[in-house]
Amino acid sequence: MNNKTTRTLSAAALALALGSALSIAALPAQAAGDMEKCFGVAMKGHNDCAAGAGTTCAGTAKVDNQADAWKLVPKGTCEKTSSSTSPSGFGQMAAYKAKS
Amino acid sequence: MMHSPLASLIAPRAPQLPPRAGLGLKAEHFQDVLATRPDVGFFEVHAENYMVAGGPFHHYLSLICEQYPLSIHGVGLSIGGQSPLNPEHLQRVSTLLDRYRPLMFSEHLAWSSHGPYFLNDLLPLRYDTATLTRVCAHIDQVQNLLQRQILLENPATYIEFDEAHFDEADFIREVITRSGCGLLLDVNNLYVSCINHARDPLAYLDALPLRAVGEIHLAGFAEETDSLGERLLIDNHGSPVDQAVWTLYQRTLERTGPMATLIERDNHLPALAELVKEARLAERYLSSTQVRP
Amino acid sequence: MNMQDAFSAVLLDPDTPYPQGISCHNGDIERRFAVYRNNVHSGLINALATSYPVVWQLVGDVFFQAMARAFIQEFPPKSPVMSTYGVQFADFVEGFASASSVPYLADVARLELLCVQAFHAADACAVDPHLLIHALNNPDSLGQLCLQLHPGVASLHSTYAIAALWTAHQHQGQIHGIDPYQLQSAVVLRNGLRVEVFAVGCGCAAFVDGLKEGRALELAACQALEADPDFDLGQALALLISHDAITGLNPTAEVSP
Repeated sequence: MNNKTTRTLSAAALALALGSALSIAALPAQAAGDMEKCFGVAMKGHNDCAAGAGTTCAGTAKVDNQADAWKLVPKGTCEKTSSSTSPSGFGQMAAYKAKS
Repeated sequence: MMHSPLASLIAPRAPQLPPRAGLGLKAEHFQDVLATRPDVGFFEVHAENYMVAGGPFHHYLSLICEQYPLSIHGVGLSIGGQSPLNPEHLQRVSTLLDRYRPLMFSEHLAWSSHGPYFLNDLLPLRYDTATLTRVCAHIDQVQNLLQRQILLENPATYIEFDEAHFDEADFIREVITRSGCGLLLDVNNLYVSCINHARDPLAYLDALPLRAVGEIHLAGFAEETDSLGERLLIDNHGSPVDQAVWTLYQRTLERTGPMATLIERDNHLPALAELVKEARLAERYLSSTQVRP
Repeated sequence: MNMQDAFSAVLLDPDTPYPQGISCHNGDIERRFAVYRNNVHSGLINALATSYPVVWQLVGDVFFQAMARAFIQEFPPKSPVMSTYGVQFADFVEGFASASSVPYLADVARLELLCVQAFHAADACAVDPHLLIHALNNPDSLGQLCLQLHPGVASLHSTYAIAALWTAHQHQGQIHGIDPYQLQSAVVLRNGLRVEVFAVGCGCAAFVDGLKEGRALELAACQALEADPDFDLGQALALLISHDAITGLNPTAEVSP
């Protein structure tokens, strides 16, 4: 990113922003989204003594699927998103669309 | 190269884990362990999971190791690898041990790194004199840096090598005699390997240097059949300990006396309480074992 | 070629036969050697699935495993610390032709990598609020103040609704009705033990980038305004302060003009 900018911000504007930030931050945290288990990252070790989770000092009985990656189609939750071509037209409301 | 007489001086015997049943500590159980404080003898962790800068893993391990004896089990040193030990990784192990001061540190009789790559599995060794020399040199290097005795775990294997000079028990005896390390006896691995190679588990057990055992591991295996319809056991840590392994464990305790015993479960992880029950079962075997004179 | 050379070459390439010099009691070497091959692949696939659970859910088990397998062939791990495995995964996904029907997949992977890195990032305490108040009381030096951020803080600019997609896969999130084709930026941070992801404007993301690069408050804020004229400095600071993401104040800017 360019280091140069022609803009300036006055000391008063900066102080106003920091002052409002401090008053917002002083409010009690919203309960929503503050769930105890909201780690976003699985509480799970990457290295483990079994194939189930990472490094194996144990084997796995499950032979992983060896389908040909180049012929596969993603079949997961992506099918449930509204796409720009979806009948609902939800995606057409998007201000920005993926280049195709 | 330094061998038997010196090795035991360089690597003083590590402090012992209590002769009780312990559990592998899984991140999924961190909060449960602190909330329920189960009555188990110790916890064991995989070293590599804690080679991170900060965050929940260190937070919870720090709290849990204030309340329980700790054992650290490495899965990444590649002691049997033909490549030199990764000095950076060895340093990470040393830093981790300095931080948590576990009662025990153990690694595997296996290789997992090759050239620049980490292959993420504990791969089998050909038991020949070149491998013996290399394994002992690597253990010397680790014990010298860590200034402690380590335990080496017997592997679960699925194939053997044509040109081996030793059988596995003899090889382990040689490694222990020459390097002064101890034995982490994985009874499940012993059983799995013996079935896979059509050997008698009890005869194998008796061939091992059991006086060097510093810890026992127990786990469950998966059972498959090979293309000839014969049993092929896979050490997947995905189920409770099998009855055949419990029986072999009892035979082991008769020979070693009460010994710190870890219940390992890595796949199909159940609730903590289930694992605590399995640890209780191990403690029943332990308490019915005579202390060896 | 010695045994470990031969063994490791064959493990990573599923189309080659097992190496010479191995045996088993009944001769069924193939099936038994396959256990090692399977361990290596399934272990690495699972390590990737642990780091990229949203990517996994977006494309499903079969596709994820096949894509991960292709990635592993190209980028086997180099470190035994598996939490660092797969940093090239997002770039790989971007170039993976079969995934092109899910164009936002690579950016979701980038976001998930930032989450893993935030999760394991070094610990740092939030700055004493009195220092912030003290800074507020000295408005003339405010512009030159450098805000130090928690090591887990990161931002990501995307042409897709990555934060919304990510959030939809947490807990009771709903993916129905989410339009992925909306420009969205995200800020990732670790507040205490929790990793949190916020959908933000590109100005806020640019502001975080500027602070991370050591720019002083005024310069970082001005650049954010250039990126997004609607950038709200007060809200951006409130987000960082209320999630303990500011860990220090440095009065002298060390930024070259």
